[in-house]
Amino acid sequence: MAAMLEFRTPGWNPYAVKYSPYYDSRIAVASAANYGIVGNGRLFCLGLGPQGVQIEKTFDTNDAQYDLAWSEINENQLLVACGDGSIKLYDMNINEFPVMNFHEHKRETFSVSWSPVTKDTFASSSWDGTIKIWSPARKESIKTLPVGNCTYSTSYCPSNPHIISAVSTDSHLRIFDLRTPVSAQYHLTTKIPVHVPPPVPPLQGPTPPAAPGEILTHDWNKYNHTVIATGGVDKVIRTFDIRNPSAGPESIMLGHDYAVRRLAWSPHASDILISASYDMTVRLWTDGSSMPAQQASPVKAGIQLGIMNRHTEFVTGVDWCLFGVGGWVATVGWDERLLLWDANRLLQGQA
Amino acid sequence: MGALERLSQISGQISGSKSAREKLLEKNPDDIVVTACLRTAFTKGGKGGFKDTQAADLMAGALKGLLERSKIDPSLVEDVCVGEVLAPGGGATEMRAAALVAGLPETAAVRTLNRQCSSGLQACVDVANQIRTGMIEIGIGAGVESMSLQYGPQAVTEFSELLESHPEAANCKVPMGVLSEDMARDLKISRADQDAFAAASYQKALKAQQAGLFDEEIHPLTVKFTDPKSGETKTVTVNKDDGIRPGITAESLGKIRPAFAENGSIHAGNASQISDGAAAVLLMRRSTAERLGQTVLGKFVAASVVGVKPLLMGIGPWKAIPKALSLAGGLTNDDVDIFEINEAFASQCLWCANELKIPKEKINPKGGAIAFGHPLGCTGARQVSTLLYELRRRGQKIGVTSMCVGTGMGMAAVWVAE
Repeated sequence: MAAMLEFRTPGWNPYAVKYSPYYDSRIAVASAANYGIVGNGRLFCLGLGPQGVQIEKTFDTNDAQYDLAWSEINENQLLVACGDGSIKLYDMNINEFPVMNFHEHKRETFSVSWSPVTKDTFASSSWDGTIKIWSPARKESIKTLPVGNCTYSTSYCPSNPHIISAVSTDSHLRIFDLRTPVSAQYHLTTKIPVHVPPPVPPLQGPTPPAAPGEILTHDWNKYNHTVIATGGVDKVIRTFDIRNPSAGPESIMLGHDYAVRRLAWSPHASDILISASYDMTVRLWTDGSSMPAQQASPVKAGIQLGIMNRHTEFVTGVDWCLFGVGGWVATVGWDERLLLWDANRLLQGQA
Repeated sequence: MGALERLSQISGQISGSKSAREKLLEKNPDDIVVTACLRTAFTKGGKGGFKDTQAADLMAGALKGLLERSKIDPSLVEDVCVGEVLAPGGGATEMRAAALVAGLPETAAVRTLNRQCSSGLQACVDVANQIRTGMIEIGIGAGVESMSLQYGPQAVTEFSELLESHPEAANCKVPMGVLSEDMARDLKISRADQDAFAAASYQKALKAQQAGLFDEEIHPLTVKFTDPKSGETKTVTVNKDDGIRPGITAESLGKIRPAFAENGSIHAGNASQISDGAAAVLLMRRSTAERLGQTVLGKFVAASVVGVKPLLMGIGPWKAIPKALSLAGGLTNDDVDIFEINEAFASQCLWCANELKIPKEKINPKGGAIAFGHPLGCTGARQVSTLLYELRRRGQKIGVTSMCVGTGMGMAAVWVAE
């Protein structure tokens, strides 16, 4: 792949990468020393220019950084999820110190997600088994949603500000609707066991494992706002329609050789997603939703469209650029590298 | 935060999805482990070796044995919970005194609890949960019952008009035998099947006793015993269950007259025996056990409690066991090596086992309450010893203890032997 930009983070093992929602030239990388096992964290705010990728600002934290999210209301601000349980809001115009520190999680914060609709709240999830909803303007959380086990990722529905999703160690995808009364279920409206096989198995290909496994990542489809893709330790990517939680997966994507660490739906096509894995590859998929329906089974076997294997360690982060022709992707891995490349080239077999 | 935990989390993500069983067998520092467990022998109510021994004396003996066996510094024990069903006032005063007699210092707190036939298990579970939440570091779950001295009509007070006016509430006082008889009839559990199950319990227990399989769990007690014929009081050492009898077959049980209804199916031979006995379990975190050099016999994983209709109290395990298996991380019957299901009545135990499709050879391999007795508050704590020593002897790992509970409940717990 000829057109590939690289940025190195020597001494720092990246855990997450995100394009700015405001500028096509701005990217942030959350990273940790010593693979996030022990030591500090560093947030890299990077700019893309004629000279390639350059550091605009860095912010160090006392503990590892596992995730980040750009503010949706202020183009200079971004959040990082830290190993000590805190969430820090940094402003690129202010050196060194966070402008806000949100510290309620009792264990590692593993994900942060900014509300894309109302833009006035963000959500975080943690190893302490909770999701918290916050306002960037106040230190105390607005709401705590109990999950009960290590919650690797939480996300807002892209169209409805009241709906929040989460995946966790117990192999379940949970949907919370904040409009429901808090009584009894703490807003939990849907709980999908990700590992349970569909009632009718897909026709082609091997059958995915049916044992429960930790779910490490998930994302909402940007076009069909009832569809969520999940990935985790069982190496399988699945999509679910949350309107029919008992129907099992809509499509199944098999191919990764180790756990799927992160996945992201394309902002430009409804059936395309990309995934990063401990098998050191990044893979591009279609979930099969644009293909004609099969007669015998409602479950579609997604198709791998391409594979990128330039990373030399676990790939931990992947994100799509919202701007331009569409198809630019940022990936980071424990090989201390950020790679920027055009996923369209994978389709043309030029990887 | 914990680097080791982060490391093991990542390695878990790489090594892939583990089965529920594999996950359960992992050893973690925050596991709640059993480092000693034992019981006294069970003896027949009104006749056996403990017929003149107070429940508190039985408990003192069992606690003393537990301290000796574990060699733990008694001052490290922070709480003792004793399941006891029949004692007036729950036996709270007597058990505190018994703990002091056993050698626990005044700093060790003591309480009793009563969840009927599951009291002993509830005591262990409560202590485990206390340790899990950090309220205490080391505790003892125990159970005791002297049915010789405290079994009788005084166990339940008169129901008020209010309770009587509510049909389901009034059902709570229907005697166990009567409701089990109705249940056996309604669920079509035949007399022949019950007798076969009961005979098997006797035969398994006899074989186990002859092979010395109870020796590890039984702590011998020396007590006073008054000979009913001569009236002479002597000192005896009780180290064997005396309810276990040779020569019991389904045919011999078939000849016994039903106890609760003329055409009934339940009789003294296919229901649990009335007995005296005590049992105790020493619990702590694995990290504590390792620090103190305690031998880990097994760990407590999860427990469930459920409610069922009071008249169908016998089906409690049927509802409680699947819940406990799911709380333990989604186990299936195949993952479990031994099920210790209390044999309150052959009818209900058999029905639960059949409904849950548990293979016969996995249930009560050393017999159960039909063969050696069911001292109400003790049974739940007794099952822990019976289960863990047998799992260890066979080199097996995962076990379940469960029982039905009077007034319509069920409890179950998952344990792992090490």
